[in-house]
Amino acid sequence: MTAKTLMNPNPMTLSPSDTVAIAADRILQHHLRHLPVVDAQGHYLGTFSVYSLLKLTLPKAVLDKHGLDNVSFVTEHVAHLAQRFGGRRDEPVTNWLNIHEVAHPETPAMEIMLLMLHGRTTSVPVVNKENGRLEGIVSFWDVLEKVRGENA
Amino acid sequence: MHGSETQLASTVIFGLNPMWYAAILFILTYVVIMTERINRAIVSLLAAGLMIFGGVLNQEAAVRGVDFNTIGLLIGMMVIVAITRQSGVFQYVAIWSAKKVNASPWGILAMLSVVTAVVSALLDNVTTVLLIVPVALLITEELKVKAYPYLFSMIVFSNIGGTATLIGDPPNIMIGSAVGLTFNDFVVNLAPVVAVVIAATLVPVYVIWGRNLKAAAEDRQRVMDFNEREAITDPALLKKCLAVIGVVVLSFVFARSLGLEAATIGLFGAAALLLLQCWPHNADEQSKLVTHAFTEAEWITIFFFVGLFIVVHGLDSTGALKLLADHLLALTGGDLTATAMTILWSSAVLSAFVDNIPFVATMIPLIKAMAPTFGGPEGLMPLWWALSLGACLGGNGTLIGASANLVVAGFAERAGQPIRFVPFLLMAFPMMLMSVAICTVYLYWRYL
Amino acid sequence: MFMHDSTVASAAVIFGLNPMWYAAILFILTYVVIMTERINRAIVALLAAGLMIFGGVLNQEAAIRGVDFNTIGLLIGMMVIVAITRQSGVFQYLAIWSAKKVDASPWGILAMLSVVTAVLSALLDNVTTVLLIVPIALLITEELKVSAYPYLFSMIVFSNIGGTATLIGDPPNIMIGSALGLTFNDFVLNTAPVIMIVLLATLIPIYLIWGRHLKAAAEDRQRVMDFNEREAITDASLLKKCLAVIAAVIMGFVFAHALGLEAATVALFGAAALLLLQCWPHGADDQSKHVTEAFTEVEWITIFFFVGLFIVVHGLDSTGLLKLLADHLLALTGGDLTATAMTILWSSAVLSAFVDNIPFVATMIPLIKAMAPTFGGPEGLMPLWWALSLGACLGGNGTLIGASANLVVAGFAERAGQPIRFVPFLLMAFPMMLMSIAISTVYLYWRYL
Repeated sequence: MTAKTLMNPNPMTLSPSDTVAIAADRILQHHLRHLPVVDAQGHYLGTFSVYSLLKLTLPKAVLDKHGLDNVSFVTEHVAHLAQRFGGRRDEPVTNWLNIHEVAHPETPAMEIMLLMLHGRTTSVPVVNKENGRLEGIVSFWDVLEKVRGENA
Repeated sequence: MHGSETQLASTVIFGLNPMWYAAILFILTYVVIMTERINRAIVSLLAAGLMIFGGVLNQEAAVRGVDFNTIGLLIGMMVIVAITRQSGVFQYVAIWSAKKVNASPWGILAMLSVVTAVVSALLDNVTTVLLIVPVALLITEELKVKAYPYLFSMIVFSNIGGTATLIGDPPNIMIGSAVGLTFNDFVVNLAPVVAVVIAATLVPVYVIWGRNLKAAAEDRQRVMDFNEREAITDPALLKKCLAVIGVVVLSFVFARSLGLEAATIGLFGAAALLLLQCWPHNADEQSKLVTHAFTEAEWITIFFFVGLFIVVHGLDSTGALKLLADHLLALTGGDLTATAMTILWSSAVLSAFVDNIPFVATMIPLIKAMAPTFGGPEGLMPLWWALSLGACLGGNGTLIGASANLVVAGFAERAGQPIRFVPFLLMAFPMMLMSVAICTVYLYWRYL
Repeated sequence: MFMHDSTVASAAVIFGLNPMWYAAILFILTYVVIMTERINRAIVALLAAGLMIFGGVLNQEAAIRGVDFNTIGLLIGMMVIVAITRQSGVFQYLAIWSAKKVDASPWGILAMLSVVTAVLSALLDNVTTVLLIVPIALLITEELKVSAYPYLFSMIVFSNIGGTATLIGDPPNIMIGSALGLTFNDFVLNTAPVIMIVLLATLIPIYLIWGRHLKAAAEDRQRVMDFNEREAITDASLLKKCLAVIAAVIMGFVFAHALGLEAATVALFGAAALLLLQCWPHGADDQSKHVTEAFTEVEWITIFFFVGLFIVVHGLDSTGLLKLLADHLLALTGGDLTATAMTILWSSAVLSAFVDNIPFVATMIPLIKAMAPTFGGPEGLMPLWWALSLGACLGGNGTLIGASANLVVAGFAERAGQPIRFVPFLLMAFPMMLMSIAISTVYLYWRYL
């Protein structure tokens, strides 16, 4: 079993010009965790996920790779968080992408499950090795149904 | 001292004169380091190997060329800092100082500048900015003021503060170790002029930015609401760290009367702090903590030093540096004042553009070779202070003058307020020249 | 060698204690604390080294001279090379390839993986070897539905046996080689032959106890045969670079003497060259990430343990106590070379089965050196060095705590739900260890005595 047989070939995607507000609406409306972002030619650019939304509400000083890892001294209200989110809602989604490890159509199922486990993610984008285009997405649910189906 | 090596050197490969081989290898090494195309630790280790393969040194002589006092002190301090930073004490100090000035934007800028300088004097500069810059970014975001003046000041004051003590900046560690200077020697000789430079540098920072910074009362209140006690993540660890650091600094102060050297104190302090941190834990936990502490040491810097010491020792052992020293002395006519000023200004300007560590590593044997002209090692003291002040303060001249500068620039870039090379140069280079001018007056007045 | 200046410093020892007593008490306390394993060994060794200096037995300069930087440099260099090479997946490739070569028969795989473990251990350190091979063994035994125990047991035993064969296989050999100026070739010529015999002899009990009972279904064997070992190579271009550098380094070791080079220079230069090859096309940030990662993989606890230990032993040595002890030992064996060699072989084997062999070997080196006058100079000591190497390395097989690799494998076994317990291991492994020492006894007697 490989990524090609497991993946959803037509996932919902975002385009690079979509704003944070559009992405947030779509995530909340469809209860999706991950939205891949692809350009007009279908190239995979990264994933806008629920974690991107979390980041949007936090100060840059804690998001930096050398940033503060303990901010318990900051006493903030929800209003402050909402204010920060509001200031960023018109930014393009490309400012807030997560770069996930990707699979290729030939990647074996076991490797994909390991990517999910180690990456703490429930979906893995499947990208063509030659041209970098998004071919689909393997979600945890697809894998689970296949595995259960074999035993049913 | 160099007898055995000079003998060996006659068998250098390709029939080349060993001095030429060593000199060519040395220059090539420095050129490759300056291009920054290959990681500096790799370059210096390969060059050290080539010094040995070429027959300039054998492995034994190469090992003798490595200043293990510098290496041990660096590793010891890095381990102590790696553990202490986990306690959150530096964030505590930064927040506390911001609240002391009622969260006024200029007050915070001045306070954080002074805190950066003081912390830099005790820790290495890169660690200092890694600890203070995130707090500065958070505060400026809350105050809705530009982060630029704050980040600019962190760069400048981290380099100034590091100049004040033996352990503040690698050039001082190298000079102190090679010449046998103590912690006290640095404090007594350099701290006064550094205090003057700090005060003087705050003036242009105020005139350019400080007086124009404004923040809304409501935003200042948000900063005043910070609870700095919460920044202390581990009070028990903090007490252990402060106790060990206290003992280590005291030992540095009394090192000479105790007959101890800096590396012994640094490494023993590190081991003692590891013991205090590990004591109640089980074996697995201990080995994780110890591994973590050693992993945090900057091994690239350490191996860069090791390789560099060997390369410079190889060149020194061929007598090339002695020749160069004689030439330099001929140029300055053997005059101490002229020599000191030449060293101060040339090291400042050079350090603004290239890494000051290889420069200082080369200058140390070169200055040592001048001892006969100036009446023995004692007479060289003004030259050592000139080298230290020039090499450390020179790092402020450009954005690539010191590693801390690049680390802060990285933060600025990621925070969307990039610090560009030329605008930085236009502000920082004059400030650096001013600080070196102050040092010129100080050196002249006190030593010459 | 460095005794004179250090003895001057000793006169100023604190508390009015005789420096020899101060050094001896500190030395014994250090070793006791190391053996209790209540405090991380790197911490203990560094603190003890500091106390040697504070006590006035050594000054910092003498302490630094006591550190064998050839050992330190060689260890760091090899660790960096291994850290980079393991990323290439070549060791997994080798393990899978060897399993398929024997048609995935359970006993064939057990024998093959044992030999692969021994060979790799001879070139890498033992802990790294088992970290690389054990996961493959666990995967294969799970697919074959056979018990993992015999496989894990064999990995322990053969990693310690294999490590004995070369200069770089096990830390005691590195220390002995470095202190004596022995080359890679000296070890291959003197310890490798007896190791071949020990290796073959040890496979016999393993076959009798487990090998002949192991069975796997044809269908399960097919699953292993379907493994595609080429996919285990994660980075083919890195692999080529690694193999080229390792080959050059080994050639460097073999011809070190003729080239006038020492082991640390060869290994550290090899490490730097491999880092260069790995980093070359990348940007500065990537390079610094690669270099940092490689240095992070170095076992700094082991390195600083060595540094501290060298200083502590050098302190003790500088007081002349080890010389005294050597004289006493020689009085016991009547200055007879055969008796001395056998005493060293058997006592180091039994001791190494229970305590860390590194501090033991660190102490034995100056002690044996002090025996040179009795046996007609350094040349006459050679049988004693081989006895020390064979005893200290093979002794690690005696118990589950005899070597770090043993504990690493035991950790894997525990997590895989097939724990290796102290006593059952002892009952199997101790006799096998004794057998290997008996073979070494015959070999030493026949060849050198």
